[in-house]
Amino acid sequence: MYLQTTIIAIVMVATFALASWKLKSPEISMVITAIVGALVGGFGFPSRLLVEGMFTYFDVGLIFLTASIFINIYSETGAMNALVRWIVKQFYDKKWLMLILLGILLIIPGALTGAGSVSIFVVGGLVSSVMNYMGFSKKRIAAFIYLFAMLAAVAPPINLWAMLMAAQANMPYVGFGVVLIVPIIIIAAFTILYTGLSKTPGRKTKTEILEELPQPPAGMNWFKILVPFGVLLVLILLMQYATFYIPVLGLPLTFMICAFISMGMDKDRWKVKKWYNVMVKTVDQVFPLLGTVISVGVLVNIMTATGVKGLLAITFITLPMAFIYITALIFAPFAQGSLSYGSAIILGTPIIFLFNSMGLNVTVTAAALSFLFPLGDCLPPSRIVGRLTIETVGYEGSYMSFLKAIAIPWLFMGAIGLLMLLFPNQLRFLVVY
Amino acid sequence: MKNSVYLKILFLVLSGILGILGGIEFVELRNYKETVVVSEDFTEMIMLSEYLPSLKGTWGDTPIYIYDSGVPGGSMLILGGTHPYEPITTVAAYVVMENIKVESGKVYVIPHANMSASTLGMLGNAYPKYFSVETPWGSQKYRIGDRGTNPLDQWPDPYTYIHYPSGQNLAYQDIRNLNRTFPGRANGTLTERISFAIMELIRNEDIDIFFDYHEASLMYPVVSTYVAHDDAMDIGMMAAMMLSATQFPMKIEASPKNLKGLTHREVGDFSDALALLMETPEPFIDRVAGRMTEELMVDGIDEFVQTAAEKGLVYCDYDIKEGFTDPLGNVIIGAPLDYRVGRHLSGTLEAVNWMNMFFPEKALVVSFPGYAEVMENGTGYYLHDPSKADPSRVFKN
Repeated sequence: MYLQTTIIAIVMVATFALASWKLKSPEISMVITAIVGALVGGFGFPSRLLVEGMFTYFDVGLIFLTASIFINIYSETGAMNALVRWIVKQFYDKKWLMLILLGILLIIPGALTGAGSVSIFVVGGLVSSVMNYMGFSKKRIAAFIYLFAMLAAVAPPINLWAMLMAAQANMPYVGFGVVLIVPIIIIAAFTILYTGLSKTPGRKTKTEILEELPQPPAGMNWFKILVPFGVLLVLILLMQYATFYIPVLGLPLTFMICAFISMGMDKDRWKVKKWYNVMVKTVDQVFPLLGTVISVGVLVNIMTATGVKGLLAITFITLPMAFIYITALIFAPFAQGSLSYGSAIILGTPIIFLFNSMGLNVTVTAAALSFLFPLGDCLPPSRIVGRLTIETVGYEGSYMSFLKAIAIPWLFMGAIGLLMLLFPNQLRFLVVY
Repeated sequence: MKNSVYLKILFLVLSGILGILGGIEFVELRNYKETVVVSEDFTEMIMLSEYLPSLKGTWGDTPIYIYDSGVPGGSMLILGGTHPYEPITTVAAYVVMENIKVESGKVYVIPHANMSASTLGMLGNAYPKYFSVETPWGSQKYRIGDRGTNPLDQWPDPYTYIHYPSGQNLAYQDIRNLNRTFPGRANGTLTERISFAIMELIRNEDIDIFFDYHEASLMYPVVSTYVAHDDAMDIGMMAAMMLSATQFPMKIEASPKNLKGLTHREVGDFSDALALLMETPEPFIDRVAGRMTEELMVDGIDEFVQTAAEKGLVYCDYDIKEGFTDPLGNVIIGAPLDYRVGRHLSGTLEAVNWMNMFFPEKALVVSFPGYAEVMENGTGYYLHDPSKADPSRVFKN
């Protein structure tokens, strides 16, 4: 089985490389790789497995789409510009306070939903605009938003990696609060310093910025600016704290409700053509990302069917312990890049069991891993949060240059995660029930 | 530009064809019915919706098979298919249903506790649709399902699942996991309603002993184990000791008090039943397992899992080369279907035996093939030919 699976893996890698080179499309290349893998693996043309794979990340795709619709409609009403104007007015001379507030703003949506991408969708554009006007380089803005999106996903109350590992290991998802918050504060402080200490030579004066910013449309007021976000927050909190009294809404419907409320705040609320155009623009915008999550799902499904996924998992977890520590910063992020949250189940859970059998604290271990997995959200094949950041920031350099731009805070976060993984028992005092 | 439009249309057509081809298979799996021939002691079949009418007409409704001796005695409920990606649990329930004799007391069997979850494979896990058990009269085909309720029947998921009534936060997809939604809610999600209806059955019928059949990955510490509620701990402990000494290795774990939604915890807490959950080893669902095939489901032989075993990463006996020998002298290679079915059967019989000793007033006298018989004759030997059976005893699930 080892030989056969290794051959399939090699054929799949070669197919992916060749297809990517010829077609210049990672998405189509992934689907072709999946089909070739299935054929070589003796599964024939696996129509059911391909369709099943397409639906693996269906919910994730729907969240991307609806969150984008919400935020684009919100921006279309002019509320976003009004908000940016206000932040620039208030915080132009208080850089550090502004960065802290923007960081907190980025963390909230992801912490409540468990997805860093939601943070970027909901407030990424706003943060990017403000930082842009404040003169920060696109590289620093991208690093700031990407890092805080990762921290948002890790932050309690919803840390999906830890929750999935806890569920798989039959341990309750409790005691994670402090052990997650303390490292988050350290990493956030580092990222704010890293961003704030950078030079901003192109920074314009407050008056120049305010002149440049579009004037809010007539009738725009705080009520119209805050209500859509207020409703979003209320719905999310209701789902958390009044869950037994309301039906399950799900995030896609939540975002659509907020989108309709935003629409209702606009004076052109009945101009269907206007909103139709926003929808079309949004679908165009999100389409590449949807293509990615769909094709990753297809690829992962065939990797599972052919045993290639199992081969990768068994290879990693049977490495000597020292090697696990050394390679954790490579394996964990790359697993996330290809398996998304599945990384927690496929690699995270065996590591939890392995560490448990060695008497190491599993809560700290799970928390540590949850700092390492999200690092892979900028890595191929999916690159979901990375690409989202690029699109939100309007970063124009190559993807490699984006990776370089985020490298320093990325490595800092990796180092913190790794330290936690190395010293789980010494850090067990952070596990507070 | 023109080429680009043609290309888009081509992709659309190809996707449509793929959707139809895949869709045909999904529809086939969703509607495939398994056949079971109930034993002569069978008295009636009712639907779970009898205990919660809102389940009627939904994919959460599922048959309950009742075997009433008419003689006073204890009562037992067996759940198979709580997690349909552990389908041997349903096969074990079928073997019970096809062969059980009840001398005193009453037995309830629900072979597909989560019917909805049995109608779709697990997304991203590339499971085959079916597996077959060989019998002397041909092969019997069974579905391989999901862990959670089919999203066609319960969707969307919340961003986090909050367990009722404890308020504990659980991973979002566990809202469709029947073994996380107990004791359930009468007006909750479909999965919560299934749990609630099962609890109603347990409470209304005064069930004395409750079994939830499961399978586990070998790297999961609770594999080959009874998980017992505090009230059932003595029974589980004695049964595990006896089984380990005489039939096969069996461990015992106490049901964690602060882990909510699981049957062994909530059935024990919210009813008078003695609650036990059993896990058999299923390499098929191990995270490191290789090719997803029907053979892996049936034979339980996987080289990657073997490597994990050699590295000391699994929590039960597993050897695909020379096998391991059980106390009866059987050499077990891998984790074959017969071994897993047999474990559940004897696991049930042994626990009932100890309940009868600890609580003579709840005595339940039942018999069906156990581990030794299944290992000797094979599971298929105990599945009856529907074409030769009295049609009133043939049921489709």
